Amino acid sequence: MMHGWPYLLGGLLVWAVHFFGLYVAASLFLTSPATRLVTAILTFICLAAAAALLWRGWTAEAGQGETFAGWQHRLAAYGAAIALVAIVWQGLPALLV
Amino acid sequence: MKSETGFDTTLYDRFPIRDERPPGELDALKRAWEAPSGIARLTAVNNNYVGFWYIATAFLFFLLAGILALAMRVQLALPLQGFLPQETYNQFFTMHGTVMMFLFAVPMMEALGVLLLPQMLAARDLPFPRLSAYAFWAYFVGGLCFFASIFFGLAPDGGWFMYPPYTSTTFSPGINADFWLLGIGFIEISAIAGAIEIIVGVLRTRAPGMTLARMPIFAWGMLVFAGMIVIAFPAVILCTLFLELERAFNWPFFDPTRGGDPLLWQHLFWFFGHPEVYIIFLPAAALVSTMIPALARARLVGHDLIILAFLATAFISFGVWAHHMFTTGMPALAVGFFSAASMAVSVPAGIQVFSWIATFASGRARPNTPTLFVLGGLFTFVLGGLTGVMVAMVPFDWQVHDTHFIVAHLHYVLIGGAVFPMFAVFYYWAGMTSRRALSERAGAWSFWLIFAGMQITFLPMHLTGLMGMPRRVYTYLPGREWEATNYISTAGAMLFGLGVLVFLLELARSFRFTIKDDAGNIYGGATLEWLPTDLYSSRSIPVVRSRYPLWDDPKLAEDVREGRYFLPGTATGQRETLITSTLNAEPEYVQIMPGPSPWPFLSAVFTAGFFVIATIQAYAVAFTSGILAILCLLRWLWETDRRVAPAEVDVGAGIMLPTYVTGPRTHGWWAMAILLTVIGMMFLMAVFSFAYLYGVHPQYWQPGPDLAWLAPILAFHALAAGLALYGRHLLARKGTTHWSPVAVNLYAMAALAIAFAIDLFSWRNHGLRGEASGQAAVIHAFLSLQGALTLIALLMGLFLAARNARALVTRPRNVTMDLIVMFYCYTAAQGTFAALLARLVPGPA
Repeated sequence: MMHGWPYLLGGLLVWAVHFFGLYVAASLFLTSPATRLVTAILTFICLAAAAALLWRGWTAEAGQGETFAGWQHRLAAYGAAIALVAIVWQGLPALLV
Repeated sequence: MKSETGFDTTLYDRFPIRDERPPGELDALKRAWEAPSGIARLTAVNNNYVGFWYIATAFLFFLLAGILALAMRVQLALPLQGFLPQETYNQFFTMHGTVMMFLFAVPMMEALGVLLLPQMLAARDLPFPRLSAYAFWAYFVGGLCFFASIFFGLAPDGGWFMYPPYTSTTFSPGINADFWLLGIGFIEISAIAGAIEIIVGVLRTRAPGMTLARMPIFAWGMLVFAGMIVIAFPAVILCTLFLELERAFNWPFFDPTRGGDPLLWQHLFWFFGHPEVYIIFLPAAALVSTMIPALARARLVGHDLIILAFLATAFISFGVWAHHMFTTGMPALAVGFFSAASMAVSVPAGIQVFSWIATFASGRARPNTPTLFVLGGLFTFVLGGLTGVMVAMVPFDWQVHDTHFIVAHLHYVLIGGAVFPMFAVFYYWAGMTSRRALSERAGAWSFWLIFAGMQITFLPMHLTGLMGMPRRVYTYLPGREWEATNYISTAGAMLFGLGVLVFLLELARSFRFTIKDDAGNIYGGATLEWLPTDLYSSRSIPVVRSRYPLWDDPKLAEDVREGRYFLPGTATGQRETLITSTLNAEPEYVQIMPGPSPWPFLSAVFTAGFFVIATIQAYAVAFTSGILAILCLLRWLWETDRRVAPAEVDVGAGIMLPTYVTGPRTHGWWAMAILLTVIGMMFLMAVFSFAYLYGVHPQYWQPGPDLAWLAPILAFHALAAGLALYGRHLLARKGTTHWSPVAVNLYAMAALAIAFAIDLFSWRNHGLRGEASGQAAVIHAFLSLQGALTLIALLMGLFLAARNARALVTRPRNVTMDLIVMFYCYTAAQGTFAALLARLVPGPA
């Protein structure tokens, strides 16, 4: 019944995992190299996950037209795309601060 | 289209039906949905009445809080003004913020959902009409009592975010702070009740064929809004509970001299408080997105992107709470992360703004009143968004923190994002609820006065803040160059008030509430609320085949009115609606809906009474009121979950659907799952508090009792969950006696109580006292939460036994029992986790 929701929200969930992960890292390790390392690792993992979701949504949506499944794939792809940008943006302070 | 539930969607092709409808069908439908009259109207639960009362009450609070604002502006118009004494001024700004946020903005959005959603989804009503009525009356009675505190000098005075230590007993010894802490308790309950109603309503009562892709944008906004309430509100419930416990029992959650920390309050409060802004903005944005296609006479540009923007805003809103705390000395990198997240919020907001502009650009908008309010709101909100990006930059925030710049910023966002849309909504949907439309001429006057007043008030206020005037000061000395901007702001506020007055006069002149003979679809909306409606919503429930059903099928209104779609009458002689699946909206079963009842009303009055009377420390009366609230609640629930005959009915075109189902398909299961999510979030916040206090003040932490205590606690929790599930299993077995399943359920209830008693005893025996330290306070909070759940489980178990004695626990499955089993299992799981965590960190001696 709920199998559609995790996919639909997948990109945004990855984004949320990323920013909450960074907050936990910064709270535990403060402004230190350890935090920067965790940020780098988490950022790459989340970028990979978002990219995979984007690829799945993008390829699956092709040819589906205005069907409900096509809409689901399209929205999932949009979410993954915004997550890609947001994750890069969210990780940048580790390079700047 | 692939089916979600096994329903054959080709059956939709049978509609519209061409057969003549049987005589008397419509009359039977009307009789089933007839509203009580006279004083009994108070027991009405239909969304048309409750929604209207709700909106009227929320608007009343808007006016009351607005009057407080005008008084504050008079006080600040000139330096050393003597219009309001300092104490009164403190109460005014606290009540202004609190009332606007808790008694106006959130309830107004819920109220609009209650009124509009059923019609827009073509449901007969929301799935729990009595819950809506309960939420409204608790809010109405409690809200008025809460507001009345200002007339006795007892109103809270610690600001709407009530930071400790200012609000601790040391600095706020009176009951003013308690009024806030307990007074908003009923509002939180009311908001969560409304959120449950809205989520289940949107997900389960949509018209057949209304897939998520075709769902009206307002329903999307309300779904996200209600989901955010479920996640955010538990944090504020918990922190208000903590502060009240600290004040009442001296449990030092926020006292750093005993291992508590005042910043814990800020984390908990803003985890709620920042999403609260979007909780207010998103439904308003959804209303704007609903109105713009009609106003611009063009389809919404970027419909899917707007849905994405709603969802993205909801997610990121939970990742920005600490930007309210940039000046508290958090780690530099954490501040950087929060700053980045705060700027990212502008992306989904920008998507919506550009979509609206593009829709207006692609259409042929007319300069009518809702268009003016929408455009005025858009302009104002964008300015507020820009200053929002400014304060997301940490060095800038350090300069303007707690100055009038912030006051100006938040008013631009909230007035532009919610108040202007609200006036547009009043004009746009007046045709649905009033016999006469509102005057365009008066609307234009009202708009220009409000718009000009808004800009004149708050634009100069940015400068006042940049020149260093702090917020929440009741006066200032002459010669600091704050006079001119303050004077202009006050003049603007009066203009704003005049605009609202013009609107009120027009309301009195033209608005005449009605359900049947309304003025109609003045602005040409395309969504289903503009179908011909009565108390039962639309005569029949249409098959939805597009996002703009009224534009794409000009005959739809006639076919619906003539009963050519689903449920053209009442299939069982009772109130009923269609329950459909969450993704594709495929028909699943017919829900029998409850009718008018005095019990939700009485329960709400006593609930509000409990919180308000507890504030004035008349504890015996308060607890009596609380017990009466519970009794009324049980009486109300007693009438629910009844099987009806026949077990299957024809819902139109020969399609047969069941009238009673159990398990995860039911709307009750969904409501319980959401309620448990609320409780789970509250517990998660308590776990965060536990970890936070251990992280910042580990020196105050003591070893816990012997780990051997864990064995019986965990065993009894496991036993409780196992017995509960076994009882449910027994209900389906033919060979068991009438009492066996419920007896096993009662044993499960006893096991929960024993597990809790051992847990409590082990800590008390260990010498832990709540007032000793932050650790002790949080562990007592865990115990209090678990104790409350166990008490509810006891009530549930006895309630089930009483229903069983009256043969109301039907076999092979029963909804009430299913929900109680869910609750037991959750209680056992939470008790297990809390017992483990509290003992393993920092570990035994």
